[in-house]
Amino acid sequence: MQRKVIQIAGIVWTLVYASIIVWIYATEPRSFKEVATNSQVAAGIYEINQEKFNNGLALFHRDQFRAARDEWAGADPAQKDPRTQFYIAYACYREGWGRVYYDNALFKQGLEAVNRAINLAPNGILIVDDPNLQMHTAAELKAELEQGTETSWKDLNPLKLFRQRK
Amino acid sequence: MKDYTERNRALLHFIVTPTILLTVALLGGLRVDAQTRQFIFIAPPLVTLVLAILLGSLFVRAGAIDLRQWFALEQPMLTNLAHLLTLLALFFASAQAFNSVLPENGLLHWMFSFFFLWTLWTNQFSAFDARRLLRSLIVMFSTAFVLKHLLVSGLYAPAGGWFSKLAAVLLQGVAIDVPAFAPVTGYVSFFALVLYVAGLLLIAPVPARPASSDNKLAVREDALSESGDLAE
Repeated sequence: MQRKVIQIAGIVWTLVYASIIVWIYATEPRSFKEVATNSQVAAGIYEINQEKFNNGLALFHRDQFRAARDEWAGADPAQKDPRTQFYIAYACYREGWGRVYYDNALFKQGLEAVNRAINLAPNGILIVDDPNLQMHTAAELKAELEQGTETSWKDLNPLKLFRQRK
Repeated sequence: MKDYTERNRALLHFIVTPTILLTVALLGGLRVDAQTRQFIFIAPPLVTLVLAILLGSLFVRAGAIDLRQWFALEQPMLTNLAHLLTLLALFFASAQAFNSVLPENGLLHWMFSFFFLWTLWTNQFSAFDARRLLRSLIVMFSTAFVLKHLLVSGLYAPAGGWFSKLAAVLLQGVAIDVPAFAPVTGYVSFFALVLYVAGLLLIAPVPARPASSDNKLAVREDALSESGDLAE
């Protein structure tokens, strides 16, 4: 009887441990801290660091976009919060926006972040009610970032100089 | 007293051995980046799976694992399932033990892979017993460990010594792509290999059966021999 109990425990333990290993190799954590974050995500108890998020928002409102992105990256290390990812994308847009040309690298980075936000949002629809923003949906932001990364004849239009940053 | 022996034996067989083997599977692909000190998990390349299959075949041929004793119709399903999981753990531990001592890419990766394949393939046709096979594996893995983690990594270390300078002169023009890992990677690999050997030592060719089933088997064998005598 005791042997049977040990056998069952062994089977269960082996399966659980093997699943953990597969999960580790699939998620590829880069540090013990990331292992802990990924575990929280897997357990469904992951929450962003609200204090860091608010700090990032304050920096964003003062047009310190790079610092804001750093704060938000710290607030959402697992990149699992759609709202934070939206703001990161928005910060990339605002920093990369230029009257004459756009910063392609930042726009691409923003596009990646907004795609993450859309994938994480329920039904892929994300609306952020922030009066300081001119684009409130992830879809609008994505379209704007996509337009910025594409090159076309419209780029030669001199009236482009009079457009406004959103 | 006997109760403890049986319980400990079962714990060793069904819990400790798979745990050790799975730990090897976890650590075998772990590297630590030299600059950022971040973990890098390298899944076993295809060649290591082929090597693990060859090694598994070698275990069976050398009698280190008697498959007919590990899987039998007379055994309870749970026992067969537990044995299957242990052997799967052994397979992945073997693959990751190879992964641990194989250079990650470039010319050296293929050279090491070729030598492993050659060794395991020629061993398939040699006369081996379990003990000799284990000794041979220890030598093979320790040689590969020394070559990879002491010689090759030392060769391309940022602050290399005279050996590094000599190699740079000798191998001038030969591009050998070796990623730089932190020294702790070598320790992790060493620990994984030690665990792997420990796991191999714990795997018995014939898994221990509970005393009651031994008695039943003895009674059955007696009955068979008695019926044989009567027939004669």
